[in-house]
Amino acid sequence: MNLRIAFLHVIALLLAMPVLAEERVDYLKDIKPILTERCVACHGALKQKGGLRLDTAARAIKGGTAGAAIVPGNVDASLLLKRITTTDEAIRMPPEGPPLQAGQIELLRRWVEQKAEAPADERAERDYRDHWAFKPLVRPDLPKVARAEWNVHPIDAFVGVEHESHGLTPRPEASRTVLLRRVTLDLIGLPPTPEELHDFLNDASPNAYEKVVDRLLSNPHYGERWGRHWMDVWRYSDWAGWTDGKQIRDSQPHIWRWRDWIIESLNADKPYDQMLTEMLAADELYPADAGALRATGFLARNYKMLSRETWMQDTVNHTTQAFLGLTIGCARCHDHMYDAISQDEFYRLRAIFEPHQVRLDRVPTEADTTKDGLARVYDADLAVVTYPFRKGDDRDPDKDRPLTPGVLKLIGEIPYDVKPIPLPAEAYYPALQPHFQQQVLAASELELKQAEAESQKLATDLATAMKTAATVLDAATADAARVRVTLAERIAAAAKLRVESVKARIAADQAKYANPIPANANDLAIAAGNAERQATFAQAEIEVIKLELKRVAAILALKGDDPKLKQAVTDAEKALADATQKRDAANKACTEQTPNYTAVGPSYPKESSGRRAALARWITDRRNPLTARVAANQIWLRHFGQPLVPTVLDFGQNGQPPTHPKLLDWLAIELMEPATSGVKPWSMKHLHRLVVTSRTYRMASTPDEKNLAADPDNRWIWRVPSRRMEAELVRDGILYVAGKLDLSFGGPDIDYALGLTVNRRSLYFRHAQEKQMEFLKMFDCAAVTECYQRKESIVPQQALALANSELTLVQARIIARKLHETTANDNAAFVNAAFERVLSRTATSEELQVSAGFLNQQQQTLIATADRLKQNTGAVNETAKPSADPVLRSRENLIHVLLNHNDFVTIR
Amino acid sequence: MSDQDSNCGCGPVSRRSFLADTGMGFTGLVLGAMSFRDGIARAESTPAGPQSGPHLPQRAKSVIWIFLCGGVSHVESFDIKTELTKYGGKSIEETPYKEFLDEKRINKNLVGVNPGHYQRKQLMALNTGFKKYGECGLEVGDWFQNIGECADDLAVVRSLWTCHNDHGTQLTWHTGRHPREGSFPTIGSWATYGLGAINQNLPDYVVLGVPTGDCCGGEWTHGAGYLGPQYAGVRLNVGAANPLPFVTPPNGQILPEEQAGEFSLLGKLNTLSGIEYPDDKSLRARIKSYELAFGMQSAVPEVLSLQTETAETQNLYGMDQATTKPFGQLCLSARRLVERGVRFVQIFHGGGGGGAWDAHGDIKNNHTNLSAQVDKPIAGLLKDLKRRGLLDETLVVWGTEFGRTPAAQGTGRDHHPQGFCSWLAGGGIKGGVTHGATDELGFFATENPHYVTDIHATVLHQLGLDPQALEVPGRRRLDIDIGKPIREIIA
Repeated sequence: MNLRIAFLHVIALLLAMPVLAEERVDYLKDIKPILTERCVACHGALKQKGGLRLDTAARAIKGGTAGAAIVPGNVDASLLLKRITTTDEAIRMPPEGPPLQAGQIELLRRWVEQKAEAPADERAERDYRDHWAFKPLVRPDLPKVARAEWNVHPIDAFVGVEHESHGLTPRPEASRTVLLRRVTLDLIGLPPTPEELHDFLNDASPNAYEKVVDRLLSNPHYGERWGRHWMDVWRYSDWAGWTDGKQIRDSQPHIWRWRDWIIESLNADKPYDQMLTEMLAADELYPADAGALRATGFLARNYKMLSRETWMQDTVNHTTQAFLGLTIGCARCHDHMYDAISQDEFYRLRAIFEPHQVRLDRVPTEADTTKDGLARVYDADLAVVTYPFRKGDDRDPDKDRPLTPGVLKLIGEIPYDVKPIPLPAEAYYPALQPHFQQQVLAASELELKQAEAESQKLATDLATAMKTAATVLDAATADAARVRVTLAERIAAAAKLRVESVKARIAADQAKYANPIPANANDLAIAAGNAERQATFAQAEIEVIKLELKRVAAILALKGDDPKLKQAVTDAEKALADATQKRDAANKACTEQTPNYTAVGPSYPKESSGRRAALARWITDRRNPLTARVAANQIWLRHFGQPLVPTVLDFGQNGQPPTHPKLLDWLAIELMEPATSGVKPWSMKHLHRLVVTSRTYRMASTPDEKNLAADPDNRWIWRVPSRRMEAELVRDGILYVAGKLDLSFGGPDIDYALGLTVNRRSLYFRHAQEKQMEFLKMFDCAAVTECYQRKESIVPQQALALANSELTLVQARIIARKLHETTANDNAAFVNAAFERVLSRTATSEELQVSAGFLNQQQQTLIATADRLKQNTGAVNETAKPSADPVLRSRENLIHVLLNHNDFVTIR
Repeated sequence: MSDQDSNCGCGPVSRRSFLADTGMGFTGLVLGAMSFRDGIARAESTPAGPQSGPHLPQRAKSVIWIFLCGGVSHVESFDIKTELTKYGGKSIEETPYKEFLDEKRINKNLVGVNPGHYQRKQLMALNTGFKKYGECGLEVGDWFQNIGECADDLAVVRSLWTCHNDHGTQLTWHTGRHPREGSFPTIGSWATYGLGAINQNLPDYVVLGVPTGDCCGGEWTHGAGYLGPQYAGVRLNVGAANPLPFVTPPNGQILPEEQAGEFSLLGKLNTLSGIEYPDDKSLRARIKSYELAFGMQSAVPEVLSLQTETAETQNLYGMDQATTKPFGQLCLSARRLVERGVRFVQIFHGGGGGGAWDAHGDIKNNHTNLSAQVDKPIAGLLKDLKRRGLLDETLVVWGTEFGRTPAAQGTGRDHHPQGFCSWLAGGGIKGGVTHGATDELGFFATENPHYVTDIHATVLHQLGLDPQALEVPGRRRLDIDIGKPIREIIA
């Protein structure tokens, strides 16, 4: 290129530039995204601040109360341009976030200059009421599928029709072996045993699979498996805080009772709506039912010592997320950006929970609530007022605008009626509960027994001393001993009076809280008062005697002018005088004859606000469009490892729509109003049965090249996705295949540090912030603060945990030894038995060959290292030391490999 | 229903390709254990997604993040205030700075004030001397004279503020959020989330030392919040027999050749069972993870074998002195980790409870003793990185949760969130500069004030990461969560 041509190029470029600069702005490509991102939240379908909408060009031109936002062709007259470019921050738009970028402003300016052209058919932002999730639930018609076998089961019809419209070929049914392992792990969280495998393979009846499903759904381990799922969603957490338990920072001690309630409720197929109701308001609706009260652990779990604010926020946020699939946390500071939820509504929801607090009630087996108890909620303050916080700042409540409790309007017109609920006496005065009374009485009787024994012992000691010829007691020692005996007798007498006082107070309580109140209630109260006053007087007298002794001792201790000792006498005299005064007062009180006595236990408000019970009714109302949809999605997610609504915690307008909206609605309806006769509403087992008996659920998880190309993410469910077992299943499975899993149910949380040595199921170990089993953490156990969907990471630390933990090493040896006994020297038989035991399937011929080859080769390796083999057998676990016999050792190795096999941790 | 479902619609080609893809596993095992910078491994095992960076020119490959728990006095370390000595013993009310006691101004940025800590009035003279260091003439307190020698490599930020006045700010320093707001991704997890690993035989994000106590964030200060546990820091116990859980079999219960046989069989069996699932990414990742685990068994103990360093190097970190040895070991381990490609190394000093540096009483003794433990090792780290040419690609950050009050609390100083300092070195950061300032008493961050997340933004910027590109759907962050890079200190 010569210089001249180069020069011409430059000229051409220069000439082209202004043309480029005035290139036509494309409304849809350049302008609409800016308006959508920065303006439409306040000027759109959701809100129309200043009467202005900017979701279409036509509406921008039409303008709001201040006039046209855009005047086509006239930049200076366009209010929108003025407001986005002004330097006055008070009026500059948008009010939140950084100002628009220079480039964006320039585009808008040019677009206005170019007459603000936009497509004539531009559609306005949709009204939120048209959002799929807020529409009423109506049972959808079943679609017709060309593949006849996909028309039999409703779920298959909804799934099959999508196969057809996306040109996908559904995968064939999985092998019986794969299916049995899938459904068994899915429903009870444990792999099938070789016996179960053989039974199923040998069952030629047409309903062999359905029989398996029935067996599993009635197996109580179902409650544990699905209990852990719901514990994720409902944020189960044991208490967190200082390790010694002296300071509880999060959740509550003994909250495992809520976990047991979940498991029991699921096993009983308690309706989902009933479970929600009990979790939100058992204390209002079933106040005398200790079993149901456990459910309120759902709320008690939010307790946060450091901040009542966070406690309240978590309660509001997670109640709406777990039950309604709405994320409303942002409405704490400002109106919701995507959904029609105002800031006030956030605080109205908060007001529902504002009065509630947590408490520990006594349980029949333990009087000391630090050792055991029932963590539950109750309305503590019925007069409390909720104020919205300006910009969400809890230091800045808007005291001019107290807010009453209320719910979300966007869900539609479902009544929220709050009626205060009177509580039975044993709820607001737990000391009426028989076990409470027995415990108080037993404690005072124990005290009496000890005092009597002490008094008896001192008297016997003295008598023995006096009688023994060898011992000559001097007068002073004998006097002192006599004083001690007398004092002990007095103490025992006072203890006896206290027992009487407890009995009298309990009798008075029974009368006072009875309905109707018996005629002798006042007499009983006076009797209780008298008994208590006498006991008080007796105790006051003992104090006087004790202090008199102290005074005498102080006088005897005087030495010369020691000021300290003199002071001690003065102090003792003063203390004695005070005690004497108290005793005299107590004595005088004994003549009172009033019905006043000290309550046996704490009292709480006699009424509950009814706000949470009303919320439960509103959430579980048949017309609520979200509750059943959210539940159905959660259940589907756990059967398939893949949800129908990808954003499991956001069904709002910022979430993603369901892949199969009609299927979701059908499942939701079937949950609430089952079409099958004899099935009760809101039965979760019904939904499980429907899902796992579908053809969809029974498909293989193997790939298909054409399907993969068309739908790589399996969005249209042409196969059942493979997934990794949850953390609990990995640990439980290792122990279970070795026959070492302790299958007992329920009970207090077990120290998480014992996870590799105590063989209970994983869900029974303490699980709280900073109190989690290391092994489970590696396999992505539930985050305690929020876990609507488990993660499935694959990291080398998992491989290390499986390869090097004593858990797998020891269980491998236990399994190997068992199988070794029955397979003698037959390597092939051992390999087959090993595959069936660990992987719940038979080995393929290739696997058999490779594994048998391994056994031979490994034996050679081990023989070559025979000396060191012996050295290593001194290791820790005596019950399952590594074998020094190369044959057995190689078999231990094979089992260890199978426990590390991808198929062991994978559900196909 | 057939028992073995061989009805796999993906002909022999895919089968063979799967075997070819994973077959290398058996031999790759040993190779993987030996080759540290396994770039191919990363490309293969990492699906498209989170590890999308770098998005910008990368100035640093690794970060060493040093955190001193409890709150180091800023006015006696890297933001010397001689006015305190001038007015020492006087009430602030008697000085020209009496308007500093304006409650409104003190509480302006504070959320949830803990009334146990507040601004004391009686000023306290400096408890240590100070000197100017380097060509830049940076003033550094005598407690940190070794670090002072590295002044020309440091960029000191003197205008930080944080929004609580209790030790929950230890978490704030790492996530921008206080414990009462919950667990959020830490800066270390963002870095590894954005960039992934260089060395697959070691964790991407390593934590050394005793982390913060339960009260102050605990595990959250090296966690990953919603990013998920695979991005959380992995604690390595320097000097312990088992530096990482399960990194070696218990008590030699399995011989090396025995284990090699097992891993080889495992690779074969996994590959065989994968024939039916040629597209299974998880299976490939699991096969890979076993190769990596095999490598980690030797790589983790190897990286912590500090005895292989020369005596001269060990001494540079103060490992020849009892006082400096524990922290020196951590600093030297940090160098060895970044040298082998670990992305983010977080070193804690004085963790547990409120933190060792929390000098409410006798600050003179407290800071004298604690600085003696860390000053030489940190300086040794900077010098060692520099002479090995590693400082160019390694960003070192020194920080603490807040400063300490200019006024006395008896013989100590109280918590001071309104203004404090930190420094950065290496990784494309200017050396010998100070940025921002507090007022004459070190009370308020007055010039170019920065919330703690601006440090995060600076770190991510140097790593070549754009925080916006890392956003997780449904986890909208506020501008203040992300922060802004401190451009003035970037070279």
